[in-house]
Amino acid sequence: MPTIVLVDVSLSMARPLPPTDGGEEYQRQNLANHGITTLLDYIATHSRLEFTALAVYSSLWELIVPFTRDYNELKNGLLKLDVFDKTRLDVALQEVRSTVLEEWSPITPCQLVLVTDGRSGIGPGSFRHLFDNPKGSKEKSLPIPFPFPCKIQVMLICSQSEALQTNALGLSQKLIDINGGGGNVHIPEGPLGLKSVQQMFLKLAESTYAPFYGTLSCGHLKSDIQLAPAPEGFNVKHDFETITRTVSPEIEVCGFIDVSDICSPPTISRHLVLPVTTKDSNGKNKEEDEVEDGKAPSFCVLLHGSLKVENMCAIVNVGSDWYGILYSWADSKKKSNLMLGLVQPGDESISWLGKFSNLAPCTDFDSHPYGEDDTKTPFPVRPAEKRSYAQNSVVWVRASGLQADIQKVLRQARKLPDKQQAFYKELNRLRKAALIIGFYELLEGVAAMLERECTLLPGTAHPDAALQLTHATKQLRLSVERDVTHNITPLQTNFTNEND
Amino acid sequence: MTFPASHKTVFVLDHSPEFAESCRQNVDFDIFTKSRGTGVIPLAPISKSLWTCAIEAVLEYCRIVFDLFPTGKLIRFVASDTESHLLNSWDADEQNLPHMAQSLARLGPPNENEDSSECSIMHGLASAVEVLCECSEKQHEVRTSLTEESSLIKNRGRIVCITSVKSDSHVKMLEEWVQDAITQHNKLAAGSDSLMPINLCELYLIHTMPLGVDSTITEDKHVVSSVLSSFIGASRSGRYLAHKLAQVVQVHFDLAITTITGIPMKEEQNASSSANYDVELLHHKLAHSDLVTFDSSGEMNTAMGLTLKWCTPRSNTIELQHCTGAFRVTPVDVISRPSSCLTNFLLNGRQVMLEQPRKIGAKIVSHMLTSHGGEIFIHCLMITRSTLEDPPSISEGCGGRVTDYRITDFGEFMKDNRIAPKESTVDVDIEDSPIMNVKSQLERQTRHWPMVISNTIVFNMLSHVDPLPSLITKVTIFDYKRTFR
Repeated sequence: MPTIVLVDVSLSMARPLPPTDGGEEYQRQNLANHGITTLLDYIATHSRLEFTALAVYSSLWELIVPFTRDYNELKNGLLKLDVFDKTRLDVALQEVRSTVLEEWSPITPCQLVLVTDGRSGIGPGSFRHLFDNPKGSKEKSLPIPFPFPCKIQVMLICSQSEALQTNALGLSQKLIDINGGGGNVHIPEGPLGLKSVQQMFLKLAESTYAPFYGTLSCGHLKSDIQLAPAPEGFNVKHDFETITRTVSPEIEVCGFIDVSDICSPPTISRHLVLPVTTKDSNGKNKEEDEVEDGKAPSFCVLLHGSLKVENMCAIVNVGSDWYGILYSWADSKKKSNLMLGLVQPGDESISWLGKFSNLAPCTDFDSHPYGEDDTKTPFPVRPAEKRSYAQNSVVWVRASGLQADIQKVLRQARKLPDKQQAFYKELNRLRKAALIIGFYELLEGVAAMLERECTLLPGTAHPDAALQLTHATKQLRLSVERDVTHNITPLQTNFTNEND
Repeated sequence: MTFPASHKTVFVLDHSPEFAESCRQNVDFDIFTKSRGTGVIPLAPISKSLWTCAIEAVLEYCRIVFDLFPTGKLIRFVASDTESHLLNSWDADEQNLPHMAQSLARLGPPNENEDSSECSIMHGLASAVEVLCECSEKQHEVRTSLTEESSLIKNRGRIVCITSVKSDSHVKMLEEWVQDAITQHNKLAAGSDSLMPINLCELYLIHTMPLGVDSTITEDKHVVSSVLSSFIGASRSGRYLAHKLAQVVQVHFDLAITTITGIPMKEEQNASSSANYDVELLHHKLAHSDLVTFDSSGEMNTAMGLTLKWCTPRSNTIELQHCTGAFRVTPVDVISRPSSCLTNFLLNGRQVMLEQPRKIGAKIVSHMLTSHGGEIFIHCLMITRSTLEDPPSISEGCGGRVTDYRITDFGEFMKDNRIAPKESTVDVDIEDSPIMNVKSQLERQTRHWPMVISNTIVFNMLSHVDPLPSLITKVTIFDYKRTFR
């Protein structure tokens, strides 16, 4: 996920540390820089596809390096940092908010690494001021909680005793809690020094930016893979259950499906599936090995090529009761890769595929589900009940709906004795709807209209027309006493056989 | 677990003789499209009763809920006159519009000749509280499961009461009546295995009156107690009541409206010309979650409605779009001609892209409308920069320098291993479910599957050895080659 490293460059960061015997004198800012470099080195080695930005804040803010994958550029940016004035966190948080929203979307999860000495300032803009005025000043509302999912990692460049004095731990935790997106407060273990700060950053890196290695298998065909970005655990509260899942390192293919059948299902996250060798996962890689690796066939590449050519996807099992889709994806520059899209955990998370556990091979059916010549498809799975827009719904809230339905009955009435079935069908539809809503006045009104139609019949009309109209009028008036399921049926006359 | 109040909703409908009165909104039902000759006098307009208007409004509310939430949201009807009448239960087979409509038809409208002093809405309200204590199938399943959730389950629900009240003090009296009923029924439920005490009840009291009568009630919402909160609203009858309930359903179920604009349709009267129409669609408000806009002072806009423009569908090629969400939709006005044209177009298998209207700059296609198996969904497309842009090239990674992969053969293998949905009548363990058959078939067929042409001889001379390689992988081999009938 994209990361912003936000560095405090206020005056207090220029405070030197107590000098150690024979050691160099470090300012807190130097320590911060070294720590951040450790972090950037880790990301560059293990998660080089992550985007990171570097920004500083004091009473103002400046974006030193915008979101990039160029870690050298980021490290160079660190070297240019200066010292400014007082700490104003609210400005910084506001700018973080707008920068992220401008660059990414409100649903892209991000991470904010706040590097500070814990001196949260005084007056407007300080931590305390932010917390005491949760509704914000009259000009602007509070910048947190952020409108996008964001973890805040607070890296305190101070000793434990200093943190107690300034209550840095408590205030930082409150900042994380108000944002509500998770995250931790980090403080160097042991005395404040270069090693302990670097250790703190390394710990953050290993917990947050650790790469995900696993295997992709399809029966006996296997490939070692890395997922970029590493998938997060899933923890969501639904109406009646809380679902917590993690992605298993063994990802199994459980079948293939055409892209036209899967129909762009919603995914909670996407990850590039990159083939790796076992050496990668151990952290070693020599140049000759790389050439060798390029020439050893990889199942991942084969799968990607075939999925692209055939325009199909693979359904994969990524954990207990959790599935995903593998497909070929090309970015705007037409470079294509194998992509894993994770769908919502659950057996029925894609309703038009039915339950995942009910998906069977074609050989399990008596007749081939895709037809002899691939002419049909067993998808989508239809729900048992039709939706209101897929049926001939009756809605008379507005007069136009009622008028239209009455006109339908009259049009069919004027065609009698032809299309007799259609007339009775429309009449029964109207009758039923009127009975449901208790609109008995309508039944009387329509009965009167049919009576009138009867009187307006030309002399040349078929006698059956008059008979049916009179019968329908009478039955309509009697509907009120009968059950709603008792449909009005055509009058059987000597002419009826001719009309069928 | 959130245990929302929207899981159970009970409508308490006033079936007293007062509701048999007219709503005083006349409907001209006898209109002439062509002249029928002189001397034909149109029939006098009719009007609906207060009962009919209430039923229509409630049925529209239910139509929207059942279209957008096929499971998980339950609705019950209770009619109240001299006693209360329960029109359906919480069982899944009674939770559908046809069943509820039939019950309403059999109940019929209020009897004008009934003694109105014997009638009261209080019977219905007491019954509503009683039925809220009954477990739904889902609640029963969670309660009897041996998981952590079974002890944490909460019973929350809503009562929506449509009636006429006389004054604010009458409203207060009804609130106290409901509060007492909850206290009583909670005591009973505490000692019972099949009932659950109510943890929270939201009471929506909608006072309705005929047109031309003023409302004497103050609209209000407040907390009555820790188990009851109350929302008082008022609306004239007729189509205004349906409009009121259409607003209430959006609040109850977190819905939002998307207006699709610029839909080209042929004119009804003149088939050779077309005009552009708008259609409003209702859906869960999360479909708008990735579209946060800011106004000039930096405040976030959380508008309930959004307008998107129809993009003329270009071709029939289906691509896999990156979707972050898919939500069922239903038209606000289901019978209007533009709505039914749009829904029929989608139900016939066409996909429509929707773009955000912009005066300048490139267009942003943010949503897609499509139907799956007779249900229409709105898909939210990813429109912002992707964190996965500029990925590494395949040819630079492992296995990227190999040029003779058996791509076509693997394509055939994939087609043979396509999956299809199987209907199941019983719940089985995952080990016995059909998807395990797919996995075992894949295992069987990949026991020997060379990935590159240069690693195999057999698969390079198929014309000589066919059909042996394909027969070997089958589970059983017959004397004759089995063909699908």
